[in-house]
Amino acid sequence: MEEDADPSDFSAKSRAQSSAPIPSALHPTRRLLVRLGFWGLLAGLVFGSVSCGRSDKDTLAQIKQRGVVRYGSDKEGGGPYAFPDPDAPRNVTGFEVELMRELGRDLGAKPEFSQGQWDRLLQELSADQVDLVINGYEWTESRARDYLATRPYYVFQLQLLSRRDGPIHSWEDLKHPNPAGRPWTVGILVSSAADTFATEQGGSSLQVVHFDGATDAMTAVKNGQCDATLQDLPAALFYKDRYPALEFAGKPVGHGYYVIFTRRGDGPLRDALDRGINRLIESGSLRRLYERYGIWTDAQNELTDWTGAAFALKGQSGPTGLALLWRYRTSLFDAARVTVILSVVSMPLAMLIGLLIALGRLYGPRPVQRVLATYVELLRGTPLMLQLYVLFYLLRLPPWVAGIGGLAINYSAYEAEIYRAGLQAIPSGQMEAALALGMSRWLALRRVIVPQAVRIVIPPVTNDFIALFKDTSICSVITLVELTKQYSILANSTGGVLEFAVATAVLYMAMSLPLSWFSRWSERRFEAMGSKGVLA
Amino acid sequence: MIEVCDLHKRHGNFDVLRGVNLTVKRGEVAAIIGPSGSGKSTFLRCLNGLESFHQGQVSIQELTFGAETPLPIRARILRQVCQRVGMVFQSFNLFPHRSVLQNVTEGPIFVLGLARDLAEERARKLLDQVGLADKIHAMPRQLSGGQQQRVAIARALAMQPAAMLFDEPTSALDPRMTGEVLAVMTDLARNGLTMIVVTHAMRFARQASQTIHVFGEGRIIESGTPEQIFEAPRLEATRLLLNEAQAA
Repeated sequence: MEEDADPSDFSAKSRAQSSAPIPSALHPTRRLLVRLGFWGLLAGLVFGSVSCGRSDKDTLAQIKQRGVVRYGSDKEGGGPYAFPDPDAPRNVTGFEVELMRELGRDLGAKPEFSQGQWDRLLQELSADQVDLVINGYEWTESRARDYLATRPYYVFQLQLLSRRDGPIHSWEDLKHPNPAGRPWTVGILVSSAADTFATEQGGSSLQVVHFDGATDAMTAVKNGQCDATLQDLPAALFYKDRYPALEFAGKPVGHGYYVIFTRRGDGPLRDALDRGINRLIESGSLRRLYERYGIWTDAQNELTDWTGAAFALKGQSGPTGLALLWRYRTSLFDAARVTVILSVVSMPLAMLIGLLIALGRLYGPRPVQRVLATYVELLRGTPLMLQLYVLFYLLRLPPWVAGIGGLAINYSAYEAEIYRAGLQAIPSGQMEAALALGMSRWLALRRVIVPQAVRIVIPPVTNDFIALFKDTSICSVITLVELTKQYSILANSTGGVLEFAVATAVLYMAMSLPLSWFSRWSERRFEAMGSKGVLA
Repeated sequence: MIEVCDLHKRHGNFDVLRGVNLTVKRGEVAAIIGPSGSGKSTFLRCLNGLESFHQGQVSIQELTFGAETPLPIRARILRQVCQRVGMVFQSFNLFPHRSVLQNVTEGPIFVLGLARDLAEERARKLLDQVGLADKIHAMPRQLSGGQQQRVAIARALAMQPAAMLFDEPTSALDPRMTGEVLAVMTDLARNGLTMIVVTHAMRFARQASQTIHVFGEGRIIESGTPEQIFEAPRLEATRLLLNEAQAA
């Protein structure tokens, strides 16, 4: 590709002499390697996923041998399940943590908490990272197809929470149209039982907004960013005192079972856990545990008379492979669109702000330079996720504004430094020649300096664009369902980990490749137009 | 036309210029010679504001600015000075991202506000005049040093300046290219353009200038006609300088 950029003898010479090497397109063999790497990654994904859900080894025997049972859970999900112990914040506590301590006795092993992101815990289980998952996971048919479930250890219901002074006071209220003309927004822990319930039972007057933690959703309701939140009853009970502005809106709705999941081949482990849960129910220590956490409800009586009938696999198993992707194609494309919009709107903003910052830092008055330097250091020195949290939860901006604004502001700091380097690479004689022609400083920048700097910064800016493109996934923490989030949601709710992983990877590649092409094209265009060695 | 009065400039503790006085009449070609580091280039760059100075005053036509002129006012005056006084640099400083023609039309179009076709017509004439009619669509990097310097001269002339400043225009060139650039400059001198030329090219200074000023340690140590300077220099320093130049 690069060979046909300019065939003249001179250009080859000047390229060799240029003291500012401009990275050009990848060498063909290297490009091949990149492709091989990509397909290798996919292959790894495929085989990794195929082997998931099965286990050749006897995990129970391993656990006994190790003396340790590793269980997957997420502290971010919060109380009362598993959360940092207020008295010793480095330790984890919660009713499930205590339950595991009891069950560890039945397994003859010490329980070890393994932190993971809640909606990916089952994937960790598949990947042999943990021995089992216990974290308010509801029994569902699709999960039961891919994993082994124990008997339930808790019968949960869902509780709607809303602002005391708000318009919503029961689940039924959500079925009436919102007088504001938009749907009611209900904050929900992504992939939770409430997610399924709200999607199936909620009408067109209800819109689900996804959160990663129970308290995030409650904060959003308190802030007025959501009309209500549907929470698993234990979480609602546990946190209600911390959110005095919120009320229990109506009676609990829905009904489901928390179970422990193990891998498909781990029947012995599952049976041992079942025996343990059984023992705790019969001895009454389970009830005492739940009462201590204030989460005992009458519904728990069902645990005593458990027959397992509720867990019969009823319907046909869902579609897999391409049929599965076809069914959820619109969700994937919608999410891809969110990713694209987030990146193509925020990147030009970041580039513009960055350019102004760079110009201000180089040519502005001293105080302006100092302020801008601080701006750059502050934004580079703190994580994007934290900045998004500030914009969304503290400044209470709408998700799209916070997402686009956060990405643009964060990346503007990086762009500013790139432009600064590019501008400084232009020899001072260029500015002098422009001024000597009678140009103002601003005109000289616009006509002479910036156009030359732009071609230097194309490769690093493209690099940043691709990085930003993938960083859009962080916007999922402020309720924007972009591609990575959608993957997580779909993989969880359908069990189609492999299918959606491949589809998501393909979509990302399909979106980022044109970006690389565009960058290479513009580089070539600039080279054809003018100097290869700006310093020559 | 150009009058400089008692110019002083310091670089930290070092006095680069120590009271320079100079008058250049309309149509006069003044050559400035002197050893390296004597302040010739710095002096030239003070005239159009590329360097600031600490004391003294500069008048170019009716535009006057001094070390005491407040910055915003000085900036405005200097822009007008730059529009009327062209400058040619030792390292050409062509705009590498623009073609030869665009280099020459850039000033007229964006500074003077001339229509593009008029600017291009003017540029073609000037490029023809400096012998580069066949290179108008070339990029600067495709030209030799001598050709680039001639484009730079055309670029400055396109502003139709009242005077031109040349800052060692041939120092970066080999002898053959030096010749083609000096030929163009000699032409300009004959046509009556006011010029101040900082140079080491003694033959050019002798043949094309009316006045020669010799710089030494930040001031003009000797001035005179080419005959006076070359035939009967007053100072030993001047004699040494001329001998060195001859030996080179």
